[in-house]
Amino acid sequence: MYTTVVRLQNVFGFFTTVAFVVAAFIAASDFVTERAPVVRTLKTTSVQVVRGRPHYYSSKKEEYAVINFSLDADLSSLFTWNTKQVFVYVTAEWPAADHAKTNATNEAVIWDSIITSPSADHLANIGPVAMKKLLKSAGGKSIDPSRGKLVLKNQRHKYKITHPSGKLATTENVTLRLHYNVQPWVGLLTWNQDVDYGYWKALKNGVSKRFKLPAIKEKKPASAGAR
Amino acid sequence: MLSGLANPRQAAVQLMNFGLILSTAFMMWKGLSVITDSPSPIVVVLSGSMEPAFQRGDLLFLWNRNVVAETSVGEVVVYNVKGKDIPIVHRIVRKFGKGPEAKLLTKGDNNVSDDTELYASGQDYLVRKDIIGSVFAYIPFVGYVTILLSEHPWLKTVMLGLMGLVVVLQRE
Repeated sequence: MYTTVVRLQNVFGFFTTVAFVVAAFIAASDFVTERAPVVRTLKTTSVQVVRGRPHYYSSKKEEYAVINFSLDADLSSLFTWNTKQVFVYVTAEWPAADHAKTNATNEAVIWDSIITSPSADHLANIGPVAMKKLLKSAGGKSIDPSRGKLVLKNQRHKYKITHPSGKLATTENVTLRLHYNVQPWVGLLTWNQDVDYGYWKALKNGVSKRFKLPAIKEKKPASAGAR
Repeated sequence: MLSGLANPRQAAVQLMNFGLILSTAFMMWKGLSVITDSPSPIVVVLSGSMEPAFQRGDLLFLWNRNVVAETSVGEVVVYNVKGKDIPIVHRIVRKFGKGPEAKLLTKGDNNVSDDTELYASGQDYLVRKDIIGSVFAYIPFVGYVTILLSEHPWLKTVMLGLMGLVVVLQRE
C-alpha cells in the first residue's frame, strides 16, 4: 500500500491527469478569445496561361496558369498564446466543366506562407543567422501585431496550377480566395469560416473579383525578335 | 515470491484481470475507430515534412466522416500510398471535381514539391477513399515514446523487463 512503486504510480497518474486537464483548458481558451480577420484587397495583378511539362522527362505538355496577385489583409487577431503558427494560403477556384449539372468546382493553391508565432519561432525553417535575429527581436516580448499583417504587392505565385485534363486556357469565372489555418500548441486545428461563431468573426471580403484565364501566350516566331 | 503460483485460483483471477484490461483497451481503440470511421484514429507524426506545424512525436486525432462538408483544400489529411503501408500526413493543395471521385493532390508544408512522386506509379492524384482521416486536433510531444520504441527495439525489451520485475516484486 505504501511501497515505492505504488507511490510512483500515484504520482505519475496524478501528473497525467493534471497535464490533461491543463491541456483541455488551454484548448478551450481558444474559443473565448476574439478573432476578427480582415481582408482589405485581394486582386490579381497578372494572369497568364503557358504550356509546360509536368516533369522533366514526361512527353505530355499541359497548360499551366500563372497568377500573380496583390493582397492586403490583417490576421493579427488570430495570434494568441495558444497559436503555434498560421498557415495562410490563396487558392484559385473555378467551376468545373459540368458545373451546371453537378455543382462541382476546381480549387488549387497558388501561394502559401507559414507565419510562426513567436513561441514557435525556434521551429521555423530559416537559416541560423536569420533565426538568431528573429529570436532576439521577438523572444520574450508580447506578440508583435505586425506578425499577422500581410501587405503583398504583385506577389509572385508559388505554384503554377493545372487541371487533370491538361487544358486551362480561356477558363471563365475564376476567383482568388484567401484562407487561413490556425495551428494551436494544443487543441483543435481551425480554418477560416464563412459564418460568425461566437467570438470568432467570419473572414469577409476574402474573395477576389471574377476573372478569366487568357489564351495561351504565344511565343514570338524566331524572326520577330533577335536575341 | 512464488506464492501466487502456489494458489492456482488466484493466478487464474490475476490472468483474467490482465485479459480484461487488455480487451477493454482494445475495445476502446476499435470503438474510436468506428466512431471516426478511420482505421487509425490517433496517429503519431513520424517525419518532419509538415514542420513547423507538426514535429516528430506529436499526436494527431483524425476524423474521417464528411458530415458538414467534403474534404477540401487546406485540410491536413493522412493517407496511405497504394500498395504500401506507410501513412503520410500532408495537406491537400488541389481538388478537382466533387464527391468520392474528386481528384486530390497533397503536399507537405516543409516539402518543396507536391506528392506526385510519392504516389503509386501511374497515379497522379488521390481520391477520397485513399484518405484515412483528416486532422482536427493535436497534442504535442506525447507520442515520442512510440517513436523511441520503434527506432530502438532494445528499449522494448528493457521496458518489458522492468514491468515484469515490478509485477514479480509486488507479490511480496
